[in-house]
Amino acid sequence: MGNPETLLEIPLEISDVSGQKVFSVANAPTGNTVGELVHEMLGKMNLPRNDASGAPLTYQARLEREGRHLNASERIGDALERGDKLTLQPNIDAGMSY
Amino acid sequence: MTLTFPYRFAIVMYGEDGTNLGTVPAKRDWQWAEEWTRFYFQRRGQLALNGNGCASTLIPLWEHTLGEPYCRGYRVQIAQPEGRPVASDFPNTHFRDVAAAVASRYVEQKKLREGEFYSYMVVAHPAPPEAPKAGGLSVTNASPSVPARDASLATFLARAKPSGVIDIDDMPVFVSQQVLEEAAERTRAEEGTETGGVLIGTLWRDQAAAEIFAEITAQIPAEHTSGSNVKLTFTPQTWAAADAALQLRKRGEVFLGYWHSHPVREWCKGKTCTPEAQKTCRLAKDFFSADDEAVMRAAFPRAYSIAIVANDTAFTDLTFSMFGNREGITQPRGFYVLEEKTHGA
Repeated sequence: MGNPETLLEIPLEISDVSGQKVFSVANAPTGNTVGELVHEMLGKMNLPRNDASGAPLTYQARLEREGRHLNASERIGDALERGDKLTLQPNIDAGMSY
Repeated sequence: MTLTFPYRFAIVMYGEDGTNLGTVPAKRDWQWAEEWTRFYFQRRGQLALNGNGCASTLIPLWEHTLGEPYCRGYRVQIAQPEGRPVASDFPNTHFRDVAAAVASRYVEQKKLREGEFYSYMVVAHPAPPEAPKAGGLSVTNASPSVPARDASLATFLARAKPSGVIDIDDMPVFVSQQVLEEAAERTRAEEGTETGGVLIGTLWRDQAAAEIFAEITAQIPAEHTSGSNVKLTFTPQTWAAADAALQLRKRGEVFLGYWHSHPVREWCKGKTCTPEAQKTCRLAKDFFSADDEAVMRAAFPRAYSIAIVANDTAFTDLTFSMFGNREGITQPRGFYVLEEKTHGA
């Protein structure tokens, strides 16, 4: 394993809430933020970006290794290691608005 | 799964007098139809359980009389590394919601009068070739196989009672009585406020019957939520807590969906509905809102996932409705209530 400070990209594994959608990312740029990673992965994983009314959904990436939700502003190179597993977990409403 | 689109679909809208009001790109979520197709053939043993990575394509079905570019529906076709592709066909009614949204905009734009009848046709044109994208994430589908273990469907059927209308196209779902009792208890405890939980259990495969079925073994109360009489918010902390509870059980169970309550009696109070109106209100039973469906798409996208709604009305005992993906649309469906614990065999 190389010095993390010199690695430009790292491999990661990303899953959805159910754990039945899992995608391997070969080249997550260490200079990018977690938020940028989440944004791009939502499209790759076909996860909805908006709720029923069209308002944007918020997803947080949970890092399995540390058992915590990452901040969107954290740098991949600072927060993550090669092979880390993340779960994309949404803040989402069931119900209806009158 | 990689769904490709060699064609772009659009809606041609017509007014009451047949006037062409315009053509609008048909933007909709195709995944539900793709998931249905994939699981339908996996259930029947015609697509491998590890076939979640097989490439799929969405193509138009041309209208018999008018021909291209007019469509009578669309087809989801899934390739297999060894063997013939499998496919499901879907009707133009799948574009109904798209047309309704367009009609609403047309009313605002005065292209349609409020309440005016409209019709639509679906068209498709070859998609322009896409230039290869430079950079970006290099991603591969590493989704696990459908996690089904072997069991006898007949064994489960012998110890279960049907609830609701059983459709032979639906994957059989067995729910333990305890799960329903816990959901009912929680619903009554939170009277007037929506509450819910995550459903976990096991997928079973009866190869002789060419069927996969689900057993809901437990519900994990949704924590770290916020609820009102019309809304229940699931947060990232909710999902994390549910996952932790699932892992602690160490029973090889998987997430199979979620349940939540509809405090209909509370809704009716606010609207001062008469008892007679309440009994026939569409919200009283088998109601699944667009928000409810959005939770499924964001958290439980596989076609074997289901949702349960606990209907708390003023005029009858608490009832349960189940919803699932049937032919690419979320629809109410029947299920079986297990009278006693049944695992495998």
